[in-house]
Amino acid sequence: MQRVDEFILQDVGGEAILVPIGQKVVDLNGLIALNATGLFLWEQLAQPREVGELADLLCGEFEVEPAVARNDVLAFTQRLREIGAVIE
Amino acid sequence: MSPEPGAYRGVLDRLARAAQAKGQPYNGTIELTARCNLACRMCYVRLPANDAAARAAELSAAQWLEVVAQAQAGGMVFLLITGGEPLLRPDFFELWAPLTRRGLMLTLYTNATLVTESVAERLAAAPPSRIGVTLYGATAATYEAVTGQPDGLERCLAGIERLMRRGLPLVVRSTLSTYNVDELEAMRAIAADFGVPFQSSWYLTGRADRQPSEAAACRLSDSCGLDLEAEDRERRGLPAAEGRRTPPPANAEAFYCAAGQASFVLDPSGAMHVCLDLRQPGARPLEVGFEAAWAATRAFVAAHNELGAECAACDVRAWCGRCPASSMIETGTLTEPVPALCELAKLRAARETAGV
Ligand code: SF4
Repeated sequence: MQRVDEFILQDVGGEAILVPIGQKVVDLNGLIALNATGLFLWEQLAQPREVGELADLLCGEFEVEPAVARNDVLAFTQRLREIGAVIE
Repeated sequence: MSPEPGAYRGVLDRLARAAQAKGQPYNGTIELTARCNLACRMCYVRLPANDAAARAAELSAAQWLEVVAQAQAGGMVFLLITGGEPLLRPDFFELWAPLTRRGLMLTLYTNATLVTESVAERLAAAPPSRIGVTLYGATAATYEAVTGQPDGLERCLAGIERLMRRGLPLVVRSTLSTYNVDELEAMRAIAADFGVPFQSSWYLTGRADRQPSEAAACRLSDSCGLDLEAEDRERRGLPAAEGRRTPPPANAEAFYCAAGQASFVLDPSGAMHVCLDLRQPGARPLEVGFEAAWAATRAFVAAHNELGAECAACDVRAWCGRCPASSMIETGTLTEPVPALCELAKLRAARETAGV
């Protein structure tokens, strides 16, 4: 999967948020606040990635067990799918 | 009176605090024009729609886009476009459409009376995060009494309907006065029928340019306003004792909100001010650059952030909504107490202390 162009990453006081543009504005009706893991994964999704690959990258960046990393990736990418922020 | 579910509101508050801690101008307001097609009695800004001098002083769409690009580079993420009535500008969409592609959390305030099918269509093609529509009454007679526009309500409701049909995210807002307070429930019902949130405010301030205003004459009585505040807290599930306006520690400083510390206003001519009610210091991003204009605005607030002696010693300060902007409007100083607000604060404190 890979991220779409209709979400712009912005910084408010050091907090990362995704701001939708175009029709995504109406679909989402708000913004997405990213924590450190979310921001890292969003950056990785600039190119096509598989879940396993994202989990490995996460383990390389943060001190986290592989099983936990996989769960985090699944939860985060599921949320991104729901709001149409990634395509397969 | 927040339309957002609690969790989202919490995120917005957190972002505001984070921005303020860093002095990031994350929240901008552009007052696109001071002109309006309505003539509301209590308005703090209105000029006639055909005011040629005011029109001539307004920045062009291209100039605004330049200012916005600079502001974004300087940290702006939220932007409100307001007026006057922004849709009076014939070149509105020359500015609007590009703005919606910049990754800003964009809000538009309008009275919706100029929202034709074609305007609604163009807004749907370039949607904002939120459109705030002001409603001045629930009957044609009241709407006219406030705005001077006989067919105003009809046009406003038609505008709302056109926006709703296109699924645009709306909030209905009302400014309450002696003219329309009896229609509060009916206005709330109109919003509910459209399935959109309703917000209202009641304390009318005078004009920021200190010109004569009818605000005080049509302002609700203190007890009526305080009843509305109590009702609103109940509706939002807040404890009755949360009527304090400026609880400590924030009220140790004169500027207790984000104005001039994380938010700014640009007037129609492109001058930067602390807020809509406080037209200072007026540096122009197009002349000095956004960064320098923001630095001047922050410096102004920092230099005037001390309370005046009377307010500093006041024991009902936490129940008082006075700020340097309200003092400027009513007294011409940044620090003097505002007698009407003193009365209100005393009453608010007394009610709360009595557990009303
Ligand atoms: S304006 Fe009046 S009530 Fe408010 S803090 Fe100052 S002295 Fe107190």
